[in-house]
Amino acid sequence: MAAEAALVRHIVSAIIVTHDGQTWLPETVAALASQTRPYDQILAVDTDSQDASVRLLKSARIPIINAQRDCGFGEAISLGVNSLKPSTRGNNEWIWLIHDDCAPAPSALENLLTAVDDRPHVAMVGPKILGWHDRTHLLEIGVSISGNGARWTDLEPVEYDQGQHDGIREVLSVSTAGALIRRDIFEELGGFDKNLALFRDDVDFGWRVRVAGHSVIAASSAVVFHAQASASERRTVDVKGAIFQRPLLLDRRNAAYVLLANSSWWMIPWLVLQLLGSAIARAAGYILGKLPGYASDELLAVASLIMRPGLIIKARKDRKAKRLVSSRIVSTFIPPLWSQFRLSTQRFTEVIRSKLLPSADTSTISILDSVEEEDLLVPSKNSHWFRLLGKPEVAGFIFLSVITLIASRNRLGALIGGALATSPDGARDLWRSYFDSWHLVGMGSAQASPPWIAILAILSSILFGKAQLLITLLFLSAPLLMMWSILTLCRKLSRNPWISVPASLLYAISPVAIAAINSGRLATVVALIIAPQIPQLLNNWKKIELLSWRRIYASVFVIGVLYAFTLLTCLIGLGLVAFATFNDYHEFYFNKNRKLFIERMSKRLTLLIIPFILTAPYSFEALLSPTRFLAEPGLSVAGGGVEDVLLGNPGGVGALPLWLVSPILLVLIVGLFSSSRAKEISLFGVGFLSAGIIFSSFSISTHGDSANVRVWVGTFLVGTTLCAVAACVVILDRLRSVLMSTNLHFRHFFAALLLLFTALYSITSIAWLVSLGAGSPVQSSRSTVMPAYLSVERDTKTLVLREVGPNDAKTIQYYISRGKDIALGEPDVAPKQNLELGTATQALIDGSGIFSSKTFAAFGIKYVFVKSPFNRTIIRTIDGIGGFTRTSATSTGVVWKVVGVTGRLVFIGKDGVSQLLETGQVGARTTVVQPGRVLLTESFDRSWQILENGSRLERVKSEQGLPLFIATESGEISLLHDGTIRRAWLSFEITVWITLLVLALPGRRRKREFADRELS
Amino acid sequence: MKREITAMAALALSLSVATLLTGTIQPTGFSEIYPAVVCPPTLNGLSSQISISSRQTQFQNLENRSTKTIPFNVLRYPVSKDSLIVSATGVTPVVWQSRTGSWAGGTICSGPAASQWFVGASSDVRTRGRLMIINSGLSDAIVDVQAFSENGKQPLKSLELKSKSISVLSLDSLATGDQKLAVHVVPRSGRINSFMIDELGAGLQTLGGDFVNPIASESKLLIIPAIPNQLPRKGIKTAGAHTLRILSVSETDAYFTLEVLSADGRFVPVGFNTRKISSGIVSEFALSPKISASAFAVRITSDEPIVASVSSIVNIAGRRDFVWSSPTPALVPMAIALTGLSPLIAFAGDVIQVKMQITFVNGKNSLVSIVGTDIATYRVPPSARSVSILKISSKTHAGALVASANGYGYIPFTPGSLLTKVEIPRSNIRVLIP
Repeated sequence: MAAEAALVRHIVSAIIVTHDGQTWLPETVAALASQTRPYDQILAVDTDSQDASVRLLKSARIPIINAQRDCGFGEAISLGVNSLKPSTRGNNEWIWLIHDDCAPAPSALENLLTAVDDRPHVAMVGPKILGWHDRTHLLEIGVSISGNGARWTDLEPVEYDQGQHDGIREVLSVSTAGALIRRDIFEELGGFDKNLALFRDDVDFGWRVRVAGHSVIAASSAVVFHAQASASERRTVDVKGAIFQRPLLLDRRNAAYVLLANSSWWMIPWLVLQLLGSAIARAAGYILGKLPGYASDELLAVASLIMRPGLIIKARKDRKAKRLVSSRIVSTFIPPLWSQFRLSTQRFTEVIRSKLLPSADTSTISILDSVEEEDLLVPSKNSHWFRLLGKPEVAGFIFLSVITLIASRNRLGALIGGALATSPDGARDLWRSYFDSWHLVGMGSAQASPPWIAILAILSSILFGKAQLLITLLFLSAPLLMMWSILTLCRKLSRNPWISVPASLLYAISPVAIAAINSGRLATVVALIIAPQIPQLLNNWKKIELLSWRRIYASVFVIGVLYAFTLLTCLIGLGLVAFATFNDYHEFYFNKNRKLFIERMSKRLTLLIIPFILTAPYSFEALLSPTRFLAEPGLSVAGGGVEDVLLGNPGGVGALPLWLVSPILLVLIVGLFSSSRAKEISLFGVGFLSAGIIFSSFSISTHGDSANVRVWVGTFLVGTTLCAVAACVVILDRLRSVLMSTNLHFRHFFAALLLLFTALYSITSIAWLVSLGAGSPVQSSRSTVMPAYLSVERDTKTLVLREVGPNDAKTIQYYISRGKDIALGEPDVAPKQNLELGTATQALIDGSGIFSSKTFAAFGIKYVFVKSPFNRTIIRTIDGIGGFTRTSATSTGVVWKVVGVTGRLVFIGKDGVSQLLETGQVGARTTVVQPGRVLLTESFDRSWQILENGSRLERVKSEQGLPLFIATESGEISLLHDGTIRRAWLSFEITVWITLLVLALPGRRRKREFADRELS
Repeated sequence: MKREITAMAALALSLSVATLLTGTIQPTGFSEIYPAVVCPPTLNGLSSQISISSRQTQFQNLENRSTKTIPFNVLRYPVSKDSLIVSATGVTPVVWQSRTGSWAGGTICSGPAASQWFVGASSDVRTRGRLMIINSGLSDAIVDVQAFSENGKQPLKSLELKSKSISVLSLDSLATGDQKLAVHVVPRSGRINSFMIDELGAGLQTLGGDFVNPIASESKLLIIPAIPNQLPRKGIKTAGAHTLRILSVSETDAYFTLEVLSADGRFVPVGFNTRKISSGIVSEFALSPKISASAFAVRITSDEPIVASVSSIVNIAGRRDFVWSSPTPALVPMAIALTGLSPLIAFAGDVIQVKMQITFVNGKNSLVSIVGTDIATYRVPPSARSVSILKISSKTHAGALVASANGYGYIPFTPGSLLTKVEIPRSNIRVLIP
């Protein structure tokens, strides 16, 4: 009885605001009509709806106040309140706010009134809001705002309502949908802020109620179902201030407004930072999700507010006038930063998880099929782990891991050897090497760094900058990664794991895989890992028009990574595209379908050309020095001969011996004559093999080696091996049934031969790998070539002479050191041999070089270092040749100092006297005391500049072809290598990669594109 | 079936094309050069001539700092003082030095050496000998001089030589008072050649002199191919007296055996079979083989590395002189300039088969074949300017004996500078990784 009396004590005026709401309005009106505690009066404010909303209201006999179409929600409510009769019940008179897309449950009003009846301090109460379509989906039960402006409900995404949040709780605010507000306080506070036409007006009002000394609660016993039509873009937003009718922009702007208008003044700088940071982060996310409109909304929202500080100042002044308690009272309702971070992380991982591990039924047996009695009788089995070992995948990976660990016993540390140069200490060095426009290698180089350095730098950064660890991990885990990668392909070719797993294992121990790892071939290792993914991405190569553009861009991204490591893949791509285009044209010749031909052409050319652009300027420079197309990253190490390549073995140091013949060629031949899909695959394999054979006959001089060395065709053989493994899987997949169903004939013999050959190869190659293979060139080493004392002087050039090669075929080789061993990426940008230096070095060795020291001094070479062991006769020859002063002779080697003034930057006065100038790593800032010439002992490059007293010095070439600057007066000079072009290229490269990433990633949908069901 | 055949054909074609295309990998290049040889300086009171094979042969004085060379323009060049650096281009010049009316001796001009043993001379009161160390390089040099005597190893002397300079050491400073000297010159750095002159005198009386020719390295087998053997004649009692000086350079004592190779046969003189010598101590043994030939050779085998030489007393025009015959390495194809010397070349070996070409002053050539066992000799015609050894049987050694008005000398037949085949270095960044 008391409760009923209480209900009677209150007067409730329901105000419905409608705006093109005919979709939801019938249910809303019906819900209002069926309230267990009816409202006392009702009126509707229509904001010039263009649909049947007004007609519906009239048919329900609800009085209507017409408002402008751009009238905001708060303004509409104020119109409604103003048209009500003056308040007579004081704090017992309530206004009940109803959206046209929200339907209260029958007991909603009754429960709201019950909640406030014995709580006189409550000025605003809100219901539990559930989804319109999915009425178990909890949307809100009270609302707050986080420091970055996000609407904070403290609920999980798509949280199922099981009553877990039931009860009456103090909140910062409640949604205006179904909110009950005391009329006197509403009028006292001036209603909703006029600047908040839509969105966040509820939070703002709740905040103002709180600081005015009242309370806001959410009562879960009252339920409202809300369609959130404006927020989910189910209707246009026509309110004032909604630029371009963009709800997101309005929401973000209003969020920032609420925070800045209500927070304590000392919080404002921190809030501005949060708002800006989160706006940028969200904008980046939207860009990646291919929603540039939303991204611009985020940024424009903050910008539009920051540009109008007067608005905030006025709002703060208004609030101050009505504030009874400190703004800090609401701090308990503002979620802490860690909560926001936790929620963001949780959402991100959930997205990733849902992509990687789509939910599947865990039980394959229907509950109807289970026999309960049997379950009770059969003893439970706990040996799951042992059963796991019986799975071919698990057993295969464990087996390969064991082999890899044994074979890599000498590789547990910083790796070096073969084609692999010394890994730098940290990712920072890699980044510097990539960004620098001038590389201190040999006589210096302005060549563009290959993009794989940036990829390694990114990966190293993930490993906290440990570049050496990255290289070690890459080489240690490479066989496993290769196996995993090809397994994903093999599974698509055969469902039988007993075929796909051994085939994947064979791929990981194929001759090219072993040779690539043992000889430090980064590009081939990466190609072996990535290559199996390409046929999966381009699974319809012939009918490429069936592949979406997003798939094409994703493929371009992957191919771009391959291009970044070796441009040999560009040649492979060129061959494949040319062959496919030829076939396309052949088809076009008959069917005359120009549109189809052009679409195929455009997609194929995209796959070929965009990766080339992605790797610019490195790839563009390759057009000028075509040997780059055939080069692998790192030091120049010769590949094997034609006979090796024919057998699928790239040869060279660290490769399997020739007698260890792999079944690759045999598989391809068998596959060619197969009647299955293996024929098609084998055709590709033979194509790769033929190309590899041709290229293996070429010799090139590159990467700091003046001699011609045979081209390493590992990348071609990756394709060959991949095709052979895939063909083998296809053949074996149907071989068993074919052999069983046919009489004894050649197929049986071929199959037996193939299996025997494969088994023999597997056993012998593994035996070789774990025994002799462990001694291959790539090993962990901490020793250095250069003695420490030669590294003390900053950027001192030292001519290093060494005898390299096996004892019976040692060759004398030399290079200019900058005081340290050569690091990753440096061989790739090493300049070509300087002929004059070469001649001087030759003369030094044969004893005829009486001018060698002068030549060396002219090139800034300060020391000659002969690394032990070395021919003693030549050491004596150098001793006697003149111009060199022996400075040390240790077990490391012998060092001579080149006589004369030499260094990196030499000033030659008018009197011809040379003077060494101070210099930094690349640039320098020093003083010349008289007019003269400044010689920079680096290779000539147009980007070298010296500025003196604000003007650029004239630059000419010295006799040795080095940059020589003419200083016409004394003064301070600044030496610099102008990296503007490099920076422009880098910007271009970053832009293209990001654009491609955006295009390749799956796009996010606009809210209006969501189905109603998804929105709850 | 068409596609399979096409694929197989493509594979075969690529294999064929690749085999044809496979270019020969650029072979390692070599730079061939004869290092310039250095001739000894002419010390005070001596006269010196250098025999050259061509008038166009270039030379420069040691002290000349420029890099300019000039041609000799003659085939026998008198050297007044300075040491000469000669671009001999494969023909070894020979130096003939003499003190008028006292002694004469010969040696070859040679390229820089990594090690030189001089077994001969003495440090006693009679000696006027000199050790000349020449730095022909443009850098300063450091040289260790280690002397041995009958009293064992002497303190090491380390010398620093300025570029293009000569250091002349008196032999009496190396092992003062000792009679039996052996010196090891080891350059630590620099382009170093050494020459030793042994000159004896007693008061105003000269007792002869000679070059002590160097031995490149110690060995367990030494062949001294040319030892002069003057038969005792009336009034010349000392003629035909020989002395073997020998030093075991290892840490342990050595047992050696000496064989005489002569036209009279091959034999081990009494007392020279498995004879013991102490390590580090220079020993001398009188050697007086009863043979009738004017020259003989000795073959010394040892169980430890040794160095040795033989001194022979000779008489020239009634005056006493002596000759130091030193071991030579096995003969290799070479050319030696002998203008004006007309030496007697002695070849020693088990089987001797030598083909050589004599080039005369007038430019004509003649081929000579020498065949023999143990030892064979050939007198070079006086009008010859050079001898080129074209073909040699293995393990054949040679030396030359020259008699002149002033004295008797020995010239080892070994190239002064070998054709140095130095590999052309290749620029490769690989040298900068461990």
